[in-house]
Amino acid sequence: MKLTELLTEDLIKLNLEGKDKEACLKELVTLLAEAGKITEQEEFYQTILAREELSTTGVGNQVAIPHGKSEVVKEPTIVFAKSETGVDYGSIDDQDVKLFFMIAVPEKKSEEHLKVLAKLSRKLMHQEFREDLLTAATKQKVLEVIKEHE
Amino acid sequence: MKIVAVTACPTGVAHTYMAAEALEKAAQKKEIEIKVETQGSVGIENELTTEDIKQADAVIIAAGTNVKTGRFQGKPLLSVEVGEAIKDATALLEEAKEKAEDFEPQEDVVTDVKTHKSERSQQRTGAYKHLMNGVSRMIPFVVAGGLAISLAFAFGGIDAEGALAGALMQIGGDAAFALMVPILAGFIAASIADRPGLAPGMVGGMLAVQVEAGFLGGIIAGFLAGYVTEWLKNIIKLPATLEGLKPVLILPLFSTLIIGLLMLFVIGPPVMGIMTGLENWLEGMTGTNRVLLGAILGAMMAFDMGGPVNKAAYAFGVGLLASEIYTPMAVIMAAGMTPPLGLALATMITPNKFDRQQKEAGKAAAVLGISFITEGAIPFAAADPLKVIPSIMVGSAITGALSMLFNATLRAPHGGIFVVGIPGAVGNVLLYAVAILIGTVVTALLVSSLKEKIEVA
Repeated sequence: MKLTELLTEDLIKLNLEGKDKEACLKELVTLLAEAGKITEQEEFYQTILAREELSTTGVGNQVAIPHGKSEVVKEPTIVFAKSETGVDYGSIDDQDVKLFFMIAVPEKKSEEHLKVLAKLSRKLMHQEFREDLLTAATKQKVLEVIKEHE
Repeated sequence: MKIVAVTACPTGVAHTYMAAEALEKAAQKKEIEIKVETQGSVGIENELTTEDIKQADAVIIAAGTNVKTGRFQGKPLLSVEVGEAIKDATALLEEAKEKAEDFEPQEDVVTDVKTHKSERSQQRTGAYKHLMNGVSRMIPFVVAGGLAISLAFAFGGIDAEGALAGALMQIGGDAAFALMVPILAGFIAASIADRPGLAPGMVGGMLAVQVEAGFLGGIIAGFLAGYVTEWLKNIIKLPATLEGLKPVLILPLFSTLIIGLLMLFVIGPPVMGIMTGLENWLEGMTGTNRVLLGAILGAMMAFDMGGPVNKAAYAFGVGLLASEIYTPMAVIMAAGMTPPLGLALATMITPNKFDRQQKEAGKAAAVLGISFITEGAIPFAAADPLKVIPSIMVGSAITGALSMLFNATLRAPHGGIFVVGIPGAVGNVLLYAVAILIGTVVTALLVSSLKEKIEVA
């Protein structure tokens, strides 16, 4: 399975409006709901917040990977979003976050999907991948970058 | 430098893998060999093998959840939050490297000995494995029986007179000792043919006792019962509807009848002859022959420290307890105690010939020695076999010879120094102690003079 099968154009947002962490997370969850990937918007938002409580998903290098596992998720999905200005996310390296990957996983997990997410997580540790994503100006370009690095 | 790592996080979808990737990347840059096990929601991937862990110089655990660390015992271990690895894997590797360099290996002798023991039991194959399965199941019966009989003598004098002594004698002699050979035979057979072997094996063992074929007869009965049952299992083919009868009716009936008849009419009589001959020979042995037997049994005990030769001598001694011959057992325990004891003493009299770890190992060996765990000598023998093994064999042979010369007896098959406290268990206890002491000193002197000084680095 390819990463791009979990991430489609309607799940990409190139300029988040939110100015703080909570607002951005809400936007991401809204995107999921609009694409019909979750049945309960508020509930999934709470799941995401609960995970942040545990420890920040701001993994450094301007990347955040808020994620949640919940019954309200229909199928494993990735949302990608960028913030032009950067958002204070309480990241482990205190950098503002510009790249968001929100990961939604249903309670009933499929191994194949989880492996794709694992692959994405590994890719995020590579600087070129992050830089290419930061410079990608269109949704099409974002998907191309991800394909290139697949 | 080789490092192994485990990464894990609460949800197990992202951090686990990011941390793994970060560590692998950083290691590549620093030219450190690394293997990272990920414990994510897909389960464990790239699992560390025992071999990986053994070769590793350091262990890193980067986890937001609980990771079991038991398997990393004895390794420098660095445990951090999973985020640390993502944030700065290079620094983490650096820290692990430092930790590995400063690490003082806690050469835990007791654990080491345990590993050797379990490795050996895993390596046991074929007839030896089956025999040891029987012997190990038999030992508790011999311990309980032997010590009960000892106590009977302690309370009731040489004829075990009086109600209490009589009861103890009945428990030890008539019950526990009577079960000894059947259990030996039964579990040899069960080791070969699984559960269906137990019944014919035990019955065969019981018959061996009744026809006075002793433990030799029991061993033969066990093997015979095992292989016959296995053979019956394979040749008897029943329609599926009757298959259920095979283990409950057919196999026990036929295997037991075959073994029983063989024991009574074929095996029993000649083995009884051999056994009686052996008993008479042992009891009638005088002077040089006795001492020679003691020396040979003693040297066997030290030769492979718990391996097949040692166990053969041991089984011989235990088996003879069933025939009420107690001197070989005394030899075997004494000679099994001197190797670790002698090595412990050697580390004390010539400390400059042992490194710091070995001196620590010496203390543990002393404890193992007094408990009759010959394997306590293995760490020394493994490090320097050509000097250590001959030394301990000579020491044990002398102890064995002396024990026979002094006519020391032992009614229990184990226990080391602790059975001495049980009245009646050891006959001629003072001279027995002298025999052990002399062997220990000889071993220590030999090892000390053969080994060379260690240059202090």
